Amino acid sequence: MKRGLSLQAALAAYRADAELAPLPDQPDPDALLHAYHPDYLRGSMTKLTIGANAGADCQRELADLLQAEAFIDEADLAGAQVTDTDVLVVGGGGAGCAAALAAAERGARVLLATKLRLGDSNTVMAEGGIQAAIEPGDTAQQHMQDTLRSGHHAGDPALVAALVGDGPETIRWLIHQGMQFDQTPSGDLHTRKAGGTSAPRVVHCRDYTGLEMMRVLREAVKQHRGIEVWEQSPVVELLSNERGQKCVGAVLGSLADGSMRIVRTRSVILATGGLGRLHLNGFPTSNHIGATGDGLVLAYRMGAKLCELDSFQYHPTGLVHPAHLYGKLVTEGVRAAGALLLNAHGQRFVDELQPRDIVSAAIIRECREGRGIHNDNGVGVWLDTPRLERSQPGLLEREFPKLLTRTRHVGIDPRREPILVHPTLHYQNGGVVIDVDGATTVPGLYAAGEVAGGIHGRNRIMGNALLDIIGFGRRAGRAAAAAEHDRGPKKITLEHVNRARRELTLAGLPLEQRAPRVLPAYTAAGKDIWKS
Amino acid sequence: MTEATRDIQPVELLINGIPVRAEPQMTIVEAAWAGGVPRVTGVGCLEGVCGSCRILVRRGKEVNVALGCETFVEPGMEALFLPAPGTPRHQYQLTELADGWDIQARFHEIFPEASRCRHCHGCVKSCPKGISVEEGVKLAAAGHYREAGEAFLECVMCELCDSACPEYIAPAHVGLFCRRITAFFHLRPPNLIHKLEELKQEADKKEQP
Ligand SMILES: Cc1cc2nc3c(=O)[nH]c(=O)nc-3n(C[C@H](O)[C@H](O)[C@H](O)COP(=O)(O)OP(=O)(O)OC[C@H]3O[C@@H](n4cnc5c(N)ncnc54)[C@H](O)[C@@H]3O)c2cc1C
Ligand code: SF4
Ligand code: SF4
Ligand code: FES
Repeated sequence: MKRGLSLQAALAAYRADAELAPLPDQPDPDALLHAYHPDYLRGSMTKLTIGANAGADCQRELADLLQAEAFIDEADLAGAQVTDTDVLVVGGGGAGCAAALAAAERGARVLLATKLRLGDSNTVMAEGGIQAAIEPGDTAQQHMQDTLRSGHHAGDPALVAALVGDGPETIRWLIHQGMQFDQTPSGDLHTRKAGGTSAPRVVHCRDYTGLEMMRVLREAVKQHRGIEVWEQSPVVELLSNERGQKCVGAVLGSLADGSMRIVRTRSVILATGGLGRLHLNGFPTSNHIGATGDGLVLAYRMGAKLCELDSFQYHPTGLVHPAHLYGKLVTEGVRAAGALLLNAHGQRFVDELQPRDIVSAAIIRECREGRGIHNDNGVGVWLDTPRLERSQPGLLEREFPKLLTRTRHVGIDPRREPILVHPTLHYQNGGVVIDVDGATTVPGLYAAGEVAGGIHGRNRIMGNALLDIIGFGRRAGRAAAAAEHDRGPKKITLEHVNRARRELTLAGLPLEQRAPRVLPAYTAAGKDIWKS
Repeated sequence: MTEATRDIQPVELLINGIPVRAEPQMTIVEAAWAGGVPRVTGVGCLEGVCGSCRILVRRGKEVNVALGCETFVEPGMEALFLPAPGTPRHQYQLTELADGWDIQARFHEIFPEASRCRHCHGCVKSCPKGISVEEGVKLAAAGHYREAGEAFLECVMCELCDSACPEYIAPAHVGLFCRRITAFFHLRPPNLIHKLEELKQEADKKEQP
C-alpha cells in the first residue's frame, strides 16, 4: 500500500468550499470489484469439505468454524435442568422479538433466550431506516427489481417477493407496537432514497431507526405474558432426535455462572444475527459484540443448508477516527442526503450512491494507490459533512442527531470537520437457506433475520435488512407456532454432533477448534468460555 | 498503535475491584477486557446506544453513573459494572388501551408514582445522554405525551434514571410509554394508509373470479 497524506496535513488542506473537479470516468463495476473488493482477496476463500454445502466456496475464517467440534458432549447433558416450551427463539434482536411476538400472538408458549441483554444486537444500532414501497409512484415490483439487481441477481425471487410484499404491512405493525417514524409537515411518512433504490422508499426515525425499533420491541416482548425471556444465556448447541434429523431443542450455557440448561421444544427459531465480530479478512466491524456467527455454526452442524458463504458486505463508511469508535458506522443516509466522498487530494472518485460493494471497492482503491488519509488507527477517505452542512444548514442536527451525539464527548463535530471513513465489515449477505415461512432444510428448525440467507443475493441495499427481520421474523414465528406436536416420548440427543465428528475425522480435519465462538477472544469472557 | 504512543505511561485503575493497567484513550470496557476482568458481559454496541454497559464511577470522593463504552480511563479511577436492570415493574399492553379518551386515567393507573415527583434531579444527574428526564416526567404526568416522548428520543434504556429515582417512578419506562402511545394513537400517515388500501383492493379483486 502506498502511503497517502497524514490526518493533520489533510485536515489543514481541507476546505468545505473548495471547487470540486467533475467525477472522473468510472471503470467497469465488475473489474473494480474483482480488483479491490475484500471478497476477492487472494486467500480469502476456501472450499468446504463436510456438511450440506461440501464443495461450495466459503470465506476461510468462517469455514474453520463451520467445520469445528461442538462445545459439549453427552456428559454435559447429564444432570442439566430441563425446561419444556412450544417455541424456542434464539436471539434477542429485531428478528427474535418479532418472531416471539408473532408466535405468542398465535397462542404458543414462547421462550426467548439471548446471549447478552435483550436488545443487545445489530438491530439497536441501525441508523438509516427501513424500506417499504409506500410512495404513490412506487410499487412492490420496483422494490423487487431494485433488490434483485443490487444483489447481482443471486437472491431467491420467491423470498424477495415475500420481502417486498410485506413492506407496507410491516410498517403498520411496527406503528401498532408503538414505533415512531419521521413525518413530513402534512403527516406522510418521510421517505429517503438510498444507494440502489429507484424511488424514495426508506422510512426512518431520524438516524435512530434501530434504537427506536429495539426499545419498542424489547418492551413489547417483556410486557407480553406469553413470552419468557432468558438473558445472558447463549445457545451453545442444538438438540436432535435419535436419527439426528430433526431439531427438538437446544443447550444453553449461562454467562453468569457457566451452568448448562436444556430446552425441549416443538420448534427452534434461530435469530442470532450476523458475524461481524469474526473480523473476516482482518477488517474492523460495525457490529455489536455478540455478532459471532453462532447461528450459522449451529445450523450447519445440524445439517442445514447455507448459501452465499463467500459474500459479505463491507459498508463504505466505517469510522477510522476516533479510536474507540473504529469501524463504527456512519449511515448511508448521510450520502443519500448529499454528502460526497473525497480522497486525500480533495477529489471525488465514485458516484456515492452506487451499491455499497462498488463504493467500498472504490475507497479501497484510493487508499491502496496512495490517495488515502492516514492516522494511527488506519487509513481512509473523507466523508464531506461540512460541505453538506453548508449547502443545507441545520440538516445534520435535524436528521442525524446520532452522528453528532456519538462524537460530541470527544470534541469532534462533523459539521466542522469532515469524517475519516474506510469500509467496515457490516453484513452477512447469505446465511441459512429458508423458505417463505422461515423453515430451514432441517425439520423443526427455523431461521429469520441476518442469520438467514437467500434474500439479499450478493449485496444488500440499505433498509432491506430491517424489513427482512420483521417480515420474516413474524413469518417464522407464525409457522413455528403452528408446527405439529410430535407424538410419543420425546428423546433428545446429540446424534447430529456425533455425525459431524465422524465426518470431520473421515475428512482428516483437526478436532481442536470448537464453535460457536459466542464472544470474541479479545473480550475477557471470550478467553475462557467454558472449556474451549 | 504507533511507536510514539507505546512510550506513554499506562493508566492504573480499579475495575470491579481488580487492579488494571490500561493504555490512555481506552474506554472502561476496553480496559476491563484487556485487564482480564472476568464476567464483563454487560456490553453490546460499544457506541453508546444499547445502554448495557452501566457503570458506577468513583473519582476521589465524587461518585457517578455512566456508560462504560463512552467513559475513558483516568488514573486512580474506580469503576464498577452494574447488574442489568430487572423486569419492568409497570405492566401494560398497548392493545388493552383501546380508547384514547381515557388515556390520562390509564396512565396514572399504570404509573401511579409519576405524579409524585419530588424534583430531586436524581434522574437528570444520572442520565448519560443528557436527557431532561425530570421535565419529561412532568410533561407526561400532565398528559402531554407527544412532547414527553420527544424528550426521550435519544434514550438508550440504560435505566440508570430508574435506579436513581427515590419515588420508583421508572422515568425511562414513562418516556417509552409516552413515545409508544403517541405512535399507537396518533401516527396515521396518509401515504401509508393509501398504499395499504390500494393493496387491499388488489387482493380483493384477485379473490373475485
Ligand atoms: C451499525 C449498523 C447499522 C445498520 N443500519 C441499518 C439500516 O439503517 N437499515 C437496515 O435495514 N439495516 C441496517 N443494518 C443491518 C440490520 O440492523 C441488521 O441486519 C439486523 O438488525 C439484524 O437483525 P437480527 O435480529 O437478525 O440480528 P441482531 O439484531 O444482531 O440480533 C441477534 C441476537 O442474537 C443474539 N445471539 C447471537 N448469538 C447467540 C447465541 N449463540 N445464543 C443466543 N443468542 C445469540 C445476539 O446477542 C442478539 O441479541 C445495520 C447494521 C449495523 C451493524
Ligand atoms: S433517560 Fe434514563 S434510561 Fe434513558 S438514557 Fe437517560 S438515564 Fe438512560
Ligand atoms: S429522580 Fe424521580 S423524583 Fe427525582 S426528579 Fe427524577 S423523576 Fe422526580
Ligand atoms: S456497550 Fe452499548 S451503550 Fe455501551
